[in-house]
Formats: sequence, structure tokens, C-alpha cells
Amino acid sequence: MTPDFAMGQTAPDVSLMQAAIYAAAGMFGAIFFLTLLACFTLPIFFAAMGSMSLSLKVLQNFPDPIGKYSKLGGLVFRSLRRNLLRTALTYVALFVLTGMLTLIYGVVKSIGKLTAEKEDSQMVIMSDKFSIPSQMPPGYAASLKGVIRAMPPSSQPRPMIDEERSKKGIPASPLGAIRAEELDQLFRDDLDRDEASPNRRRFRALATEGLNENFMTWSFVGASLDPAKFTQENSLFLFALDPNSVKYGMMSEQGLNKEDLGDDNWDEMLRVIDTMNGDRRNIVIGEDRLKTIGKKVGDEVKFYSLNYKDITFECKIVGAFPTGSRMGNSAAMQYDYLDAKLGDYKKTKGEAHPQADRCLNLVWVRMPNKASYQALAAQVNDPSKFNAPAAKMETFSAVIGSFLEPYKDIFWGLKYIVMPAIGVIMCLVIGITITIGVRERWTEMAVMKVLGFQPWQLMGMIVSEAMLIGLFGGMLSTWFVYFVPLMVKNGTRAVGVKFTFFDNTNMPWEIVILGPALGIAVGIIGSALPSWNARKVKVSEVFAQVA
Amino acid sequence: MAIVEVRDLYKSFSRGTERIEVLMDLNLDVQEGEFVALMGPSGSGKTTLLNLIAGLDGPTDGTITIGGQEISSLSESELARWRTRNVGFVFQFYNLLPVLSAYENVELPLLLLPMSKAERRAQVENALEIVSLSDRMNHRPGQLSGGQCQRVGIARAIVTDPTIIVADEPTGALDSKSADAALDLLNLLRSELGKTIMMVTHDPTAAKCAQRIVHLEKGRLVGQDTITASALSPLEVSR
Ligand SMILES: Nc1ncnc2c1ncn2[C@@H]1O[C@H](COP(=O)(O)OP(=O)(O)OP(=O)(O)O)[C@@H](O)[C@H]1O
Ligand SMILES: [Mg+2]
Repeated sequence: MTPDFAMGQTAPDVSLMQAAIYAAAGMFGAIFFLTLLACFTLPIFFAAMGSMSLSLKVLQNFPDPIGKYSKLGGLVFRSLRRNLLRTALTYVALFVLTGMLTLIYGVVKSIGKLTAEKEDSQMVIMSDKFSIPSQMPPGYAASLKGVIRAMPPSSQPRPMIDEERSKKGIPASPLGAIRAEELDQLFRDDLDRDEASPNRRRFRALATEGLNENFMTWSFVGASLDPAKFTQENSLFLFALDPNSVKYGMMSEQGLNKEDLGDDNWDEMLRVIDTMNGDRRNIVIGEDRLKTIGKKVGDEVKFYSLNYKDITFECKIVGAFPTGSRMGNSAAMQYDYLDAKLGDYKKTKGEAHPQADRCLNLVWVRMPNKASYQALAAQVNDPSKFNAPAAKMETFSAVIGSFLEPYKDIFWGLKYIVMPAIGVIMCLVIGITITIGVRERWTEMAVMKVLGFQPWQLMGMIVSEAMLIGLFGGMLSTWFVYFVPLMVKNGTRAVGVKFTFFDNTNMPWEIVILGPALGIAVGIIGSALPSWNARKVKVSEVFAQVA
Repeated sequence: MAIVEVRDLYKSFSRGTERIEVLMDLNLDVQEGEFVALMGPSGSGKTTLLNLIAGLDGPTDGTITIGGQEISSLSESELARWRTRNVGFVFQFYNLLPVLSAYENVELPLLLLPMSKAERRAQVENALEIVSLSDRMNHRPGQLSGGQCQRVGIARAIVTDPTIIVADEPTGALDSKSADAALDLLNLLRSELGKTIMMVTHDPTAAKCAQRIVHLEKGRLVGQDTITASALSPLEVSR
């Protein structure tokens, strides 16, 4: 019921076998899609080649050496045009292979980014040390805050500076201007110890604000629209939290940040947070989930909680998380509302709700650096501070790392076996095509040698043929994978439609350069052997009758 | 001094452990402006000798001097450069590049030489004029007859104004009419332009176009005939 990924706690319930099947199915789908795309881009490929050879034709009228070399270059294009089908098939194969490589690169890269330890600010998670899912008494949040407040100034989380606020569209703090230089001056361990000093007072205020902005609690609420029945179509998973946490980027790892959402969606998100703050019964649901349960923004709904027995929520849907985003299938509510409901329960039933003492599932804190995180983790792990139940503290990347642990072999295989294998296949494809081409023209090569062409000139011509196909295959493939979603995204946004599917296809930008470079490299490597053979063609053997 | 001087030439190929002596103790002089035909049974080493003179391969022993340049001492890339300037090669099967037009085929060797575009154009047009194919210069080899292709081949061989023109059975693939035209052309090159020509042929009538016939047998020179004017082809006599 609960998205494990968001919890970062339980082991994945998809088995390795299933994951492998999904991966295989995904790959076949990608190959199919890329093949279609490749065939569809064939006219572009030929048009590009045509216009290149046309511009070479124009260049032929230039004075030498430009004129001369463009004539020789023209020979390369004509050789490629000689067997159009072969050239086209090679292009398609390279397009598909580069596309596959790009997609796998994107996946591997984003996983690498997710699990990479960041040196500066550390997103850390406190959870129950032994039980899954983690369940802690709500008091742990305040205790943890106390522990952090007692830490030396340099270890305290800092409030967001004004520059950052205006960038994110967050109003200025009531504490007045907050600048990085001031924070650097105050959040130091040699700060004036006198509690009454103005520096110390200012520090206290800023540190309190900093802790609020860098602290988030999660309580998981499972709920159903129907008290008697719980199905996929009528249920909901909610994060009970303080909506303001989203503003300060505490839900960034869940995709709720300006970069992942895009400027418009982020501004909309800020508006929704304000609306949500207006009434504690307001909730936000992911667009995908809304569709599944058949509700829309503006609806009033009544939910029956599953894990908080006998508690119902009367909510109003005031916003939606974009479809396809990591929150697209989840929902968020105010922790205050859950807290109030638990209070009501105690009032009417005369005793606390059985879950009341276990309603804190996770606490997120963003610590300013690694050292401060380690110092904090040591205290959280200390059984004298948190012992009923024992708690633990880990970095988010470590949690993700352990979540991805079972798939490690698959990722390893993708990176070190599948990706190099695709590269090798690409070289072979080009190698075979060029070898056939060279064999066909064996006598022509010899003739050119007779005319006085140098071995390296023949080699260069053949390598250029391979590089051209490689370049176009690699370039068009990666450019399509990168720019088409981007164009659809911006194009549809311009006409006011939102294709959120494309909002979430974030391929690393460097593929735009890596693709063509890979194509060229593959061309060089693949044609190395056939071009070397052409270089060594023995004219006397070709023309003497060797009986 | 002869323009082609072959001295004590030996050429052998080794195939596996076997050594095949193809040319043995061969001496030959060709004068500037001379038209020499090479005849001999198949496998006697005619093509091998022609290839050596054209600098396509190096001798096992002995020296070859062309126009005062001892080519047996040149490196492979020096030889390539030397060939462009000094040798025009006419092949039995024309060996034009099918993707290039007649004009471009003839122009190809000139691209390897430092010369202005205008010079290049003039030389290509002149060569095509000589072989009377000016009206076909934009045709591809596939659009030309065998005889026309061979004439393009001859134009390509003369376009760099080489020291010698070598032709390996240039009429071997042609019908008698086209063959006559090609031979006529070679003769014209010699008589009007003073070209030095060495031609391998199996056809005795073709050989009679030459001024001298050199007979080769099992890698050795076995005799020479000097053709008197009376033995020349009627075409040549009428000129
Ligand atoms: N590169 C080579 N390697 C091995 N043997 C060779 C090579 N070139 C030629 N030969 C051998 O040298 C001999 C002479 O060959 P060549 O081609 O010169 O004969 P030819 O006189 O031109 O014959 P044809 O009239 O049939 O063209 C033949 O026995 C041939 O097999
Ligand atoms: Mg021969």
C-alpha cells in the first residue's frame, strides 16, 4: 500500500526476477520505439547528407586547397550513396544502439546522482532502528530538535538566504534580511557566549528559523473512500506533514523542487501550499491518483483511515501534484489535522488511540555538513537519548543505497557489461559495413593507388565514410532523445497544454555532445581494420594474374 | 640516353616456402618517344615487368631508371608521388571510378598535384579533346561504351603529361573496331605528342602498331622485332 521508495525503509517488494523481466520488456520496447524513430529520421539523415555533399559541391568552386579537398570529400559521399540500402540500415542500427546506450546512460547516471554522498548539505533521516515500517512516538521530533539546538553553532542548520528566497519565490523572512555573510559570521563556534549579547540573540533567532526550515516529520496515513471496502481504486496514501516543508525544499528528493517541476509548476506549488495552510483539512493529491479514485481538485472527500482505525478525515482537495512525478500517485495532508483527530479520539473515547504513540514515521533533517550530521547521528544512536524504541540516523543517499542494494548487480551489469557490449556491437556494425564496402571497391582502391594516392589518403577516405554514418547515427539519435521531449514540453506549454509526461523525462544534457562524439569514435574504431587493409592493398597483386 | 633503362632486373615472388622466379636477368632500354610492345605467353612476366617499370612494385634485384630517376630506390610514398607525375597507366578493364563522371575521372590524378583550378580544367578538357570525348565529359562510366571508357582511361593516363605511358592489354576487352580506335589513339599520342609508350598485348596486329616488339618468355627477353614503316598499320601509313 505504501510506496516503499518514499518511505525509504522497507525492502522492495518487486523480486529481482520481476525487475529483470521489467528491464527486458523495457529494453525491447525501447528498441522497438527507437527503430521506428530511426526509420522516421531516415529522410533527415539523407537530407543532411545531401546538403553536406551539396555544400561540398559549392566549395569545389573555391580556390584550392578548399576546392581540391572538397572534391575528394565529395568522393566519400558518393561512396556512401552507392549502396543506399546498406548505408540506411547501418544508420538505423547505429541510431538504435546509440539510443539504447543513451537511455541506459541516463538511468545509470541518475542512480549514481541519487546515491552520491553530497559533501555540503546532508539530507538525513531518523527512523526506528528495528521495526519496519518505522514507528516512533511523536515526542521524538521535539527531542531531536532539542539535540540539534544544543549543538555548536557551526553544526546548526541555517535559514534560507534572501537571494535563494527570491529565486524560489518565497517571501522574505520576518527576521529581516538574511545574507550569507551574516550567517557565516554568526554560525561559528567562537561566537560570543553571552546569551544576552546582540550577536547571540540574532543567532538564536536565525538558528530557530533554520531548524524549522530544515526539519520535516512524516506520518503515513493510509485511507479509503469506503469504510467497508479497500481497493486500489478507492484508496489513498498520504504523507502527513507541515506543508511549509515543501517550500524550503525538504521534499526535493520526492521531486517537489523548482528544477524537477519546472518554473510554472513550482509557482503553482507555492500557491497550493498557501491555500493548504488556510485550513488544516485541505489536502493535495497527485494527478494520477486523482484519476484513479475519480476525484478532482475542488472536491470535498471523506476518508476512512486504514492504519488509524476509527479515524475519518473530511478533506477538501485544493491542489494536485503533477502526473508522472514522484508524487503523482501520492497525497499530502497536514500533520496538524492528524494530530487534532487523535486528540478528538482521546476526548470522545476516554483513552488515547492505540497508534497515537507511534504516529511519527520518519524525521528528515538537512544538516549543514557531513561533520554535523555525524555528530548528530552519534547522539541519535546513543541509547541513553532515544531508547523506546531505539532510533537510527542515516543519510538519504545511504537509505537509497540500501534500497537499491538488491539491484546493484543489475546496475553493475548495465554499466560494465551492457553499455560496453553495445559499444562493441556498434563498432562491429560499422566494421562489417565498411569491410563489405572496401571489398567491393578493392580494385578501385588499387587504381587510386596507381594514380598516386597515398595509403593514408585511402585510409582517410574510408574512415571518413564510417565517421559520417557514425556521426549522424549518434547525433540524430541523442538529439531526438534529448530535444523532442524538450520541444514538446515547451511547445505545449506555450499553447497552454501540459504534457506532464515529458516534464519528467530529464536526460542529462551532455548526451547532446556525447552522442555525436561516440558516433565518430565508433566510426574510427569500427573502420580501423578495413581501412588498414585498404591502405595495404598491393597493387601488383590486384593487377598481375596470380595463377 | 634512354628514357627507360632496365638493368640486370630480377623479380621473384615467394608463395609460402616456394620461390617463383618471374623475371630473370632482364635488360631493356626504351628511347624517348618510342612505342614498344611487350609480347609473350601467359605467365611470362609481362605484367610484372610493366608494374615494375610503373613503380607499382620493387625489383628483387637490379635497377630501373626512368627519365634519369632511379625508381627502385624510392620509398612507397615517394613512389606514389612519382607515379602521379611520371606514369600514365591504361588498364585492360579501364578501371574508371563508377561514381565519377568522365571529367572527374580524368581530373582525379590532377587533384594530387599542385596546380590552379584553371590549369586543371584546361588540362582535363585538353585530354578529353584528344580522345574526342568532349561531348561526353559529364557521363558516368556506366553510361559509356567499352571503347569510350577506354578512351577516358587513356585521357586519364595522359592528363598529367607523364614521362611514360604504360598499357596492359588495353585492347583486350574491346571489339576490333574500338580496339583499332584505341590503338590509333596511342599511335597519335606517340606521333603527334611524342609520348613514350609501353604496351603489353597478345594481339599480333595490335603489336604491329608499335615500333618495336619485345618478346618475353619465362621471365627472359628472347628477341626483338623492329617494325618497318611498311609493316605499320594502314592508318599509321596514311598519316
Ligand atoms: N604478387 C604475386 N605473387 C605471386 N606470384 C605472382 C605475383 N604476381 C605475379 N605472379 C606470378 O608471376 C608470373 C607472371 O605473372 P604475370 O602476371 O606477370 O604474367 P603475364 O605475362 O602478365 O601473363 P598474362 O599474359 O596472362 O597476363 C605468374 O606465374 C604469376 O603467377
Ligand atoms: Mg598480364
